[in-house]
Amino acid sequence: MTKPSATAQARPPPPATSPATAPSLLTTFFARPLPLYLSAAIFRLIFLLYGLWQDANSPVKYTDIDYLVFTDAARFVSHGQSPYDRETYRYTPVLAWLLLPTAHITGNRLLDSALFSSGKILFALADLAAGWLLEKVLSRSMAPPQARKFATIWLLNPMVATISTRGSSEGLLGVLVMALLWAVLEKRITLAGLLLGFSVHFKIYPFIYAPAIIWWMDNSKFPPSQPPPSKRSPSLPTKILAFLTPARLNLTLTSLTTFSLLNTSMYLLYGTPFLQQTYLHHISRLDHRHNFSPYHTQLYLSSSPSVSPSLLLPIEKIAFLPQLLLSTLLIPLILAKKSLPTCLLAQTFSFVTFNKVCTSQYFLWYLILLPLYLPRSSFFRCPKFGFLALGLWVLAQAAWLQQGFELEFLGRSTFLPGLWMTGLGFFGVNCWILGVVVSDVRGRGSE
Amino acid sequence: MRERITFVQKEGDSIEPTALKVDASALSGPDVKAVREDRLTLALDELPNELKALLEGVSQLHIRWVDRGEHEAVSPLLARLPPGFHLFYTPGSDTSINPCPLLTRVFGLNSCSSPAESFTTLPTDRFTHSTTHQFYQPLPSLSSFINFAKSHLCPSDSPKSCSPRLSSLHRASHLDISYDTISHTLRVTSLWPYSSHSLSATLLSPSIRTEIGIISTASPKTLEAHEIAISGLLTVLGQSNHPSPTLFTFPSRHRSAAPVSFTSQFLSPTGLHPVLQLSITSPTPPIKSPNPDSCRLHAYFTLPKTVFPDRHQLSDPLFLASKNLSALRYITPGIDLEAPEYVTNTWGSSLLLELSPPLKGGEWTAQVPLHLRYLSPSVTGYRSAEVPYPAVFWACEAEEGTRFPVNPFEKDKVGYDGLFGERTVFWHLDPTTTAGDGVLVNGVKVPVLNLEKAGWVNVGTAVVVGLGFLWVVFKLLGVGFAGGRKVDGEEKKKRQ
Repeated sequence: MTKPSATAQARPPPPATSPATAPSLLTTFFARPLPLYLSAAIFRLIFLLYGLWQDANSPVKYTDIDYLVFTDAARFVSHGQSPYDRETYRYTPVLAWLLLPTAHITGNRLLDSALFSSGKILFALADLAAGWLLEKVLSRSMAPPQARKFATIWLLNPMVATISTRGSSEGLLGVLVMALLWAVLEKRITLAGLLLGFSVHFKIYPFIYAPAIIWWMDNSKFPPSQPPPSKRSPSLPTKILAFLTPARLNLTLTSLTTFSLLNTSMYLLYGTPFLQQTYLHHISRLDHRHNFSPYHTQLYLSSSPSVSPSLLLPIEKIAFLPQLLLSTLLIPLILAKKSLPTCLLAQTFSFVTFNKVCTSQYFLWYLILLPLYLPRSSFFRCPKFGFLALGLWVLAQAAWLQQGFELEFLGRSTFLPGLWMTGLGFFGVNCWILGVVVSDVRGRGSE
Repeated sequence: MRERITFVQKEGDSIEPTALKVDASALSGPDVKAVREDRLTLALDELPNELKALLEGVSQLHIRWVDRGEHEAVSPLLARLPPGFHLFYTPGSDTSINPCPLLTRVFGLNSCSSPAESFTTLPTDRFTHSTTHQFYQPLPSLSSFINFAKSHLCPSDSPKSCSPRLSSLHRASHLDISYDTISHTLRVTSLWPYSSHSLSATLLSPSIRTEIGIISTASPKTLEAHEIAISGLLTVLGQSNHPSPTLFTFPSRHRSAAPVSFTSQFLSPTGLHPVLQLSITSPTPPIKSPNPDSCRLHAYFTLPKTVFPDRHQLSDPLFLASKNLSALRYITPGIDLEAPEYVTNTWGSSLLLELSPPLKGGEWTAQVPLHLRYLSPSVTGYRSAEVPYPAVFWACEAEEGTRFPVNPFEKDKVGYDGLFGERTVFWHLDPTTTAGDGVLVNGVKVPVLNLEKAGWVNVGTAVVVGLGFLWVVFKLLGVGFAGGRKVDGEEKKKRQ
């Protein structure tokens, strides 16, 4: 169910910029990894325990409805059934397998409660691992304490901690994507291929990273063992052959093989429901309960039998065009070789912004990449500008959420103009931010 | 063909046999305050060909139509169902037979296309006596049925009373049509609400055995707790010219929990997640029940597809307790929790909840959380959805060994009876309305997309998305060109 959370959640402001002259508390905090990771872990533990308390004492649940879907599916699996026996389970069976411990019952209440929460613990640990990889990637271009400062945006972010401890699996994507980026930058191509294939199997959208990574892997990063024979105007077939470097072929083959093997085995195990729920559903889905997407109102209008389709431009049928043109072609082509991390951020941002469905959980997809871009961004160079962008992003969302609240809870017909306009407003702000992100790559050499 | 006409008076009311005039073809007498029930039993061969062909292919077909008005029930005709058109159906060996086209024509339905698309399946593993499929739709009036029946069942040579008697169905509160392969007969039962009726009945045709009863419940000393006693006058037209007094008892599964009643209304504001509140006048189980400790209060809902319950939400004990509910006893499986109403084919869902009354006290409430589907856009920005009142009853276990053979006034196949064991007795709470409109239906205003304001949506969305796209492309090109000409050179110099 795509039901955007009713509370506005925002990115935290970038950490203070002033370099400390004397070793302040803050400097000590970031000097070594332990304080940051320990506090990130404690932070999540508090959220987790609070959630357990709220679930046990309040009819309003802390736990995300999706977590109940995952754990129900895990229970089906533990009984030898298909996870797709659970309605609305729209994920890879791997997720249900990962959560198998949640289906285990010992009879001891405390132990059972811990076992049931083991999925949330896994998601929270994935958060920490993603933060750690984030630090490793950042450390390639800055000192570790500085890298940890930026990793804080992810590690101590209440939105991230809430989402994973409520039991949403988006945190797993964070660690997968960050591991993929790290492996690529470390030139561990086979590992990268495995991660890419697995991520796409897991959540489809990381396929947008494939063209960027492939394009980035040119001779400057992977010098050929033999220098090219002739430099003067090579013919087209020669160019194509030159493009097909061993590294590129390796990545393509590893990722495709991983993806196909996983899908074939899942299909053999669970048959058509696997294909239908995990992949085909996303093509045919008609659930357009209000969400942040600019297409929401259009989708509602065009799906309804009371509107003659001939009167409408079939925007929703070509909505994938701007989305895929930007996220899989134009952005990779222009940004990948200049800055791969920023390219991935811009791709994800455009994919989410131009998507036909957009809920606040999707923001996590780009939030993990944000700390990689921020240090050299104009938002960070000029904090006023940064806060302006953050403020607009929050405000545009808040305006939409206010309209959504009136619809959802007060029953006022705010579809038009309220939800439509605020949805488009939020889209506009996102496009503007995306423009700034893209422009910030200007003048950068390859990284 | 057989006909049975019964006037059911309230307990204690009766009529002197001498007040009735009986001859070979008619009975007449003074006006009485009563519920009138007419029951026609027809053999398959007596039916129009189309109907006969359909019924030959089905195993069970039970139609239960209930008027939406607030009507007082009189014992023993106490079974309650949410108002509307209910169908309980079991196909025969040929499952391709589709009763929908005929039902649609006869009753003026609008959401019955085929069993596979429109019906929901019922659990047959629990108790063998339930049918396999269910269908429901709100149906405020029988006028379509009456018109169809007049043109198909009242041929030119039919008695003069045929058409007026069908017309009188406009005032009926219930219409039941039952067929099953075991009896091979079609039973049509109609009920008119408690009011003043003229005591008159005429033989439809000399070949039709017509039995007329004027009865009321009695309380003989020998009556057992699970039984109902009936006393009154019975006459078989043409067989005797005077009514014979009668008294008989039978076990009954449907009883009245009067004076306890309930009302149902949506809490305001309804939003997209309306909460239906049941207000019940008393929390105590029916005192007349032989073992009140076994009694559990239940509410049985038939929810049209515009609204749906969420089984996962209704499975959390804490959440249920906060709404004065104890347990989700049954919910139609496979309810889509996302799809808009206009792409949903099944009729809706049925829901059986066990309520959690306080231990003592007076009037109390229970809340049932529901969710609205997206409805199709309208020119006002709103549409209305209607949810019929549930049937609310105490389900009590009769003593071990008690049997409930079908009694002459039994109404079975009412949906919830298939979800309980055969020894369960249903003590019904009377539904009452608060709005004063006397309609046992709760309306809810559903916000939808306002078509009047939708003129710019299509073009506006296209323009904004297009501009956003072009803006990003423009920025990208800026980077692309800068990178292509200058920056590379600068970078190279720096590296050197």
